[in-house]
Amino acid sequence: MIHVTKVKVKNKMGLHTRPATAIVKLLQSAKCDVFFTHKQETVNAKSILSLLMLAAKRNSSITITTQGVDAEKTMNSLVSAFENHFGENV
Amino acid sequence: MNNDSKEVRLQGTPICRGVSIGKPILFLPAEETVPEFNLNDESLEAEIDRFRKAMRLSRKELETLQKSLYTEDLHESATILESQLQMMQDPMLTTHIEHAILSTRKNAESVFQNQVDQYKIKFDTIKDPFFQDRFRDVQDISRRVMGYLRAKQRLSLASISPDSIVFAKELTAADTAEANNAAASALVTEYGGPASHAAIVAKSKGTPYVSSIPLEGIDPSAHSLAIVDGRTGEVILSPNLDTLRHYQHIRSQLQDHLDKLEDIKNLRPETFDGYTVRLSANIEMASELESLHIHGGNGVGLFRSEFICLSQDSFPSEEEQFAIYKELVEKMRGLPIVIRTFDVGGDKCLSMQQNKETNPFLGCRAIRFLLKEKNIFKSQLRAVLRASAFGDVSIMFPMISTLSELLEAKEIISEAQKELKSEGKKYGYVRIGCMIEVPSAAIIADLLAKECDFLSIGTNDLVQYALAVDRSNHEMSSLYTPTHPSVLRLIKLIVHEATHQGIPVAICGEVAADPRFTPLLLGLGVHELSVATRYLPAVKQAIRNTSIVEASRLAEQALMLTTASDIQALLTQEYKHNSPDDCFYNY
Repeated sequence: MIHVTKVKVKNKMGLHTRPATAIVKLLQSAKCDVFFTHKQETVNAKSILSLLMLAAKRNSSITITTQGVDAEKTMNSLVSAFENHFGENV
Repeated sequence: MNNDSKEVRLQGTPICRGVSIGKPILFLPAEETVPEFNLNDESLEAEIDRFRKAMRLSRKELETLQKSLYTEDLHESATILESQLQMMQDPMLTTHIEHAILSTRKNAESVFQNQVDQYKIKFDTIKDPFFQDRFRDVQDISRRVMGYLRAKQRLSLASISPDSIVFAKELTAADTAEANNAAASALVTEYGGPASHAAIVAKSKGTPYVSSIPLEGIDPSAHSLAIVDGRTGEVILSPNLDTLRHYQHIRSQLQDHLDKLEDIKNLRPETFDGYTVRLSANIEMASELESLHIHGGNGVGLFRSEFICLSQDSFPSEEEQFAIYKELVEKMRGLPIVIRTFDVGGDKCLSMQQNKETNPFLGCRAIRFLLKEKNIFKSQLRAVLRASAFGDVSIMFPMISTLSELLEAKEIISEAQKELKSEGKKYGYVRIGCMIEVPSAAIIADLLAKECDFLSIGTNDLVQYALAVDRSNHEMSSLYTPTHPSVLRLIKLIVHEATHQGIPVAICGEVAADPRFTPLLLGLGVHELSVATRYLPAVKQAIRNTSIVEASRLAEQALMLTTASDIQALLTQEYKHNSPDDCFYNY
């Protein structure tokens, strides 16, 4: 089953080191494949370097694709993490 | 002791005072060129194992280092390492490399280097300098891993013996922390000025440090012994017997001097004719307060609040800040603390300041930034005000250059007080003061003094702005002279105007920590000196060794002189007369 959702980066400095670290940590237990697409570039979301290379600024949108056994559950937790701007002040 | 080799004397720039004698070791990062060769089928698996082992060892090394940083309360450096640890588990640096070793059948170091080079190209294409900068972490990791992959054992500064003198081209944050933990007895580098990370760490520990020593063509590790004189900037390799005896003598004199300073920790900071000065501390975190109490400081004259957010990518919330300030205030045990609002910008560049300025020291820093980002400013003021309910708290604004900035900042304080009142949150009485570190502020000190409860002179920036000399520019260092007549006149003017308004003046720049300046500053009428806790004993001693009558005469005499070097010579001579035993400054 493939899940696709579009989210917005709300963090002040965009998808920088700390949110990227939070995403990678969150996905450590996920069994499904997770991809982020930003400005026509698609990367493996389990790679912190790939996430940083997206250089996604504040208010840019990212398309999340999850595919595999826990795809839905993983998508839900990712979306809420983005909404909570990874626990940072905005 | 090798008497055959002739002693070699090198002259560098002194960064941190002290004298050390020890075994020189040369610290070189992994070499630039990486060997590349083909592997046969049988050795492929072993090569992957070798790569995994290098990664594992590097990770372990980082984890150990991170732990020690946390125990030493160096949170800023520790968070940098956290993201590096995450990167080391990244498939791009793990499985990708393994696959590439299998498909190219090349040795691990060449494949690894190749990949890192490709990532660099990718990072270089990113336009945003903030994201581009993240590549430094990858470089740091790659250097560490390459060290393990190279045939030669990676030299880690963590495992050097305590008497070692570390020679290096340049030291990174991680290197300095490692050298520091291993108690290196001195540091010598080719690059790195007084404001470098290595300099800050060396100063906080009192490790002698000399920079600008060119390492081209000399091999320190070929010598069995080295002497580093952090007072003069001299480095001596393979000293002859006379030189060695001379420095052994100096070293024990320095130690005696430090031991004697221990005896005065419970005495008051007063001149021998009974004039009492306030002697306070500049601090960056709560853990330093222990040392303040041990050395008998009168309070905190400067808490650099920006340090609580330098390690993060964002400003902490009001609640987070409140917890930090409350802890600080409680640990003061009733002594007063001056909290300076965030001094960001200039050399303390936060990553959330998006726009790179061509001239950050003249740009949107300190109060200018805070008045622009009012939400950040107000949440800090609210947190400080709430903490003031628990002790004696003052608020200080950094880099005021005009009266309207001070008035606007004060207005925001009263807004915050009103808000807190209507929310039923407690706050205490706070004194309000401003830093005088811009010549314009010094010149209108009378106007600022009318609106303040105290003034505090930040001499580091005042000297830099008054003389138009970038203090981190090594080429210009001879022009950076705190004894310049213009600086003395500015200090005199500030003190005069403040006294006229009946408010005290403190000095919190580096000259406050230099005991040769103490009589001059007292003579100019300064009421408070605020220094890093390590310097409390030396400055207290200097206060106790002078009389206010002599100090005033000295100040008058200095104001008559026409050049910075004449004034410097006068202070040095006077100090020699007052404190002949202090070999840190008399040589």
